[in-house]
Amino acid sequence: MVLRLLKQAWPVLGLLLPLAVIVLLADQFGSISVERSVTEALIKIVTVVGLYIFIGNSGVVSFGHVSFMAIAAYATAWQTCCSALKPITMSGLPDFLRSHTYPVLPAGISAAILASIAAFVFGLILMRLSGIAASISTLAALFILNVVYSNWDKVTMGTASIVGLPTYVTPWLAFAVAGLAMVIAYLFQISSWGLALRATREDEVAARASGISVYWMRLAAFTLSGLVMGMAGVLHAHFLGTISVDTFFLSLTFITLTMLVVGGMRSLSGAVLGVVVISFVTDILRRMESGVSVSGQEIAIPAGSQEVVLAVVMLLVLIFRRDGLTKGREFAWPFARRQSISETKHGDA
Amino acid sequence: MLNFIQVLFDAAALGSLYALVALAIGLVFGIMRLINFAQGDYLTIGAYALVVPTASVTPPLLFGALPWPLMVAGVLATCIIVALLTERIAFRPLRNANPATLLISSFAVSYFLQHALMLVHTGRPKSIAMGSSLAQAIDIFGVRIPGVQLVTMTVTVSLLIGFVILLKKTAIGIQMRAAAENFQMARLLGVRANKVIAFGFALSGFLAGIVSLLLVAQTGTLDIKMGIMPVIFAFFATVIGGMGSLAGAALGGFLVGVTSVLLQAYLPPDLRAFRDAGVFALVILVLLVRPKGLIPSSASRERV
Amino acid sequence: MLAQDGGLHARDVHVAFGGLKALKGVDLKLRQGEVLGLIGPNGAGKTTMVNVLTGFQAATTGDVTLDGRSLKGLGPRNVARAGVARSFQAARLFRDLTVRQNLEVAAIGSGKKRKEARAKADALLDWIGCADKAAMLAGSLPYGDERRVGIARALALSPKFVLLDEPASGMNDQECDELMLLIAGIPDKFACGVLLIEHNMQVVMGACRRVHVLDNGKSLAEGTPAEMRANDEVRRAYLGSKNTGSQVI
Ligand SMILES: Nc1ncnc2c1ncn2[C@@H]1O[C@H](COP(=O)(O)OP(=O)(O)OP(=O)(O)O)[C@@H](O)[C@H]1O
Ligand SMILES: [Mg+2]
Repeated sequence: MVLRLLKQAWPVLGLLLPLAVIVLLADQFGSISVERSVTEALIKIVTVVGLYIFIGNSGVVSFGHVSFMAIAAYATAWQTCCSALKPITMSGLPDFLRSHTYPVLPAGISAAILASIAAFVFGLILMRLSGIAASISTLAALFILNVVYSNWDKVTMGTASIVGLPTYVTPWLAFAVAGLAMVIAYLFQISSWGLALRATREDEVAARASGISVYWMRLAAFTLSGLVMGMAGVLHAHFLGTISVDTFFLSLTFITLTMLVVGGMRSLSGAVLGVVVISFVTDILRRMESGVSVSGQEIAIPAGSQEVVLAVVMLLVLIFRRDGLTKGREFAWPFARRQSISETKHGDA
Repeated sequence: MLNFIQVLFDAAALGSLYALVALAIGLVFGIMRLINFAQGDYLTIGAYALVVPTASVTPPLLFGALPWPLMVAGVLATCIIVALLTERIAFRPLRNANPATLLISSFAVSYFLQHALMLVHTGRPKSIAMGSSLAQAIDIFGVRIPGVQLVTMTVTVSLLIGFVILLKKTAIGIQMRAAAENFQMARLLGVRANKVIAFGFALSGFLAGIVSLLLVAQTGTLDIKMGIMPVIFAFFATVIGGMGSLAGAALGGFLVGVTSVLLQAYLPPDLRAFRDAGVFALVILVLLVRPKGLIPSSASRERV
Repeated sequence: MLAQDGGLHARDVHVAFGGLKALKGVDLKLRQGEVLGLIGPNGAGKTTMVNVLTGFQAATTGDVTLDGRSLKGLGPRNVARAGVARSFQAARLFRDLTVRQNLEVAAIGSGKKRKEARAKADALLDWIGCADKAAMLAGSLPYGDERRVGIARALALSPKFVLLDEPASGMNDQECDELMLLIAGIPDKFACGVLLIEHNMQVVMGACRRVHVLDNGKSLAEGTPAEMRANDEVRRAYLGSKNTGSQVI
């Protein structure tokens, strides 16, 4: 019985255990900079898992998801930051935000919920479109949000950064939220709705003929992924203590999509593995850009090489290993006697 | 009244510019189901080919220093070569991938080109003194039209006409339209995929070159991100036009450009900053009413 | 009222694709508990008819009723939930889902709870003899199994009528015989009428009591398989066409 449960939960546990070890090591032995890198990667896991819930299960690429991060980040900032400056710098806020400060937990939760409401509203319209048209239109969502938040000076401080958010995000907190995101994603993917959505990904026509509503399944996933993106946005805001609208734009979209694609966008394991691998690579590149000493000689690669290398990695993966490192499979239960891979796939065991 | 006519000219000029970009996007989408993000970078690269790579904000001219026919030829050739290279290196190996994968790959190609260009030219915006003779306004019945706009309109209109002729009358054009309608069938009928696709990319590079020259002539600046907005507008143009329909793409591009100028002119001043959001919201509204676009192509429906 | 007009009934259906008239006034009635064959040369309009019956294709004119209720304007999904299921000429399985999940999805689509859906899937897999392949990915199935899973998936919706589009294509003789028995057994086992489109006359003869012949978008004849064989017009239609034709009928 216990074994069965363990087996059922393996695709999540099998990911969480190694992550826990990494966090533990970073927490105990790592330098501040390593600890920060690990926390950042864990936040990225929340982000990419959020992307995965929609993109992985529906097969529809979305370029708009980081908008939902922005919505949550701003929402939590309005509630928690800089009580003294708020009335001046963000004078357009409604009174309950302008002159009050709220505890971080309810602020974070309500911010994530706001993100998912926004996703639902956008989804109501976008999910009516066919796959590619929907993808392009998610870009519209991204740009609309960027334009609005960049110019709504009295509420968002325009393109300036909002500073002074409480920074309460520790590696363990980020780990806990990453775990929560993974559990949400996994429960969704093995639910009947998740299954139905995966069917629409495989063959939209046949799914319709099987009585599945492509629209509602996509909308459900879009909304849920909006929630997880919101969680990521809250973490992001309270990890850095500062937010600005341009961090939630094309670059972040690109990085997170790269992570998803490199890991393999059709499995939760892929989403997580992609973050780990790409975070590692970018971290090294970043250090090389700021200069490393090799046998006494200081060398640095030109700034901006990081992005070029990432784009090349992404293209190579797309060309030579289209389903990503995990090939779209979940991690198999390691103690099985003779079990086909597919048995553990998507929790069908 | 005069002011209104001036706005109309602005609208027509921008609309036809976007129509060109949208046409390029639609062309490539038609033949290989690829929405090409990199289209914007072709035109950025074309524009940067005018100057010598330096960190300076007023760099010495490269192609920009040539007599204008050579300069135009140089920029066009650059764009065409880059477009063909991306096709050969990145998109050809992915030709049978699904549209979602193709879309992501073009996003990656675009990101690569943009940052590679940044490595060479640095990310700073640059100014470039060019086409100053075009900047003078010409007086027509009391309406002052900048010369650049006249040139833009003349060029785009003649290009659009040229395109119609190319697609309707020449062998390669007919093959391209056949491929856009039904690629599998076109192949069975002996259309050579490599040739048609390469030609499509060459055309999209050509269009990028033209657009980049017109943009630089209008603004006199170079910016790593200068290709992004035109290409985003063109995306929406192809979607509201009806994916895979070339006429739809051109129409969509025109409408998007016109809407953008009209909003700029007639929105109350404190809302003007939100103009682009307005255009995008309109795009979404159009799609709400016509999810298949204004001119749906027959290829957009899957046979069961 | 119900008694009079029970069944799946298409009246005077016309479908035009631009200038091409794929159906020109077809009447077709499928009764509860029967297996009706729908045959005709390539391009006769058989698949188009199935598309009309299942809401994938709107009829230019004409109407389809299910037990007296019009299906007009219902999309594929709602037609499926109303009780008309179909399989596809190309199996169109959900390739990256397991075989069992393929059937589960359809059962879920018909409104079942997860547990019932799974039970339904397992029962159907037993019935087509694929229980041992339940956990395989559908994309890795051999051809014959693929076709049968396609049929089972349609039946997983617990439909009143199931429309099978060339389920035997590409099967060898032995597989065809087994399939014929399965199909003939559907009405009794699932209380479900069957429309069987098939080029293989062996299968049609074995499974159907009644056959409807389409040619060039029109109903040519309807009757027992033997009558159709003897019908000159039917012979001509088949002989006139290039590929299938004489050797099958
Ligand atoms: N979506 C469509 N658009 C245009 N023409 C179509 C479409 N679907 C079918 N047709 C045409 O309608 C005619 C009837 O096709 P249909 O597929 O119904 O024939 P069929 O009897 O099923 O043939 P087969 O035995 O080959 O499956 C054919 O000429 C076909 O090309
Ligand atoms: Mg057919």
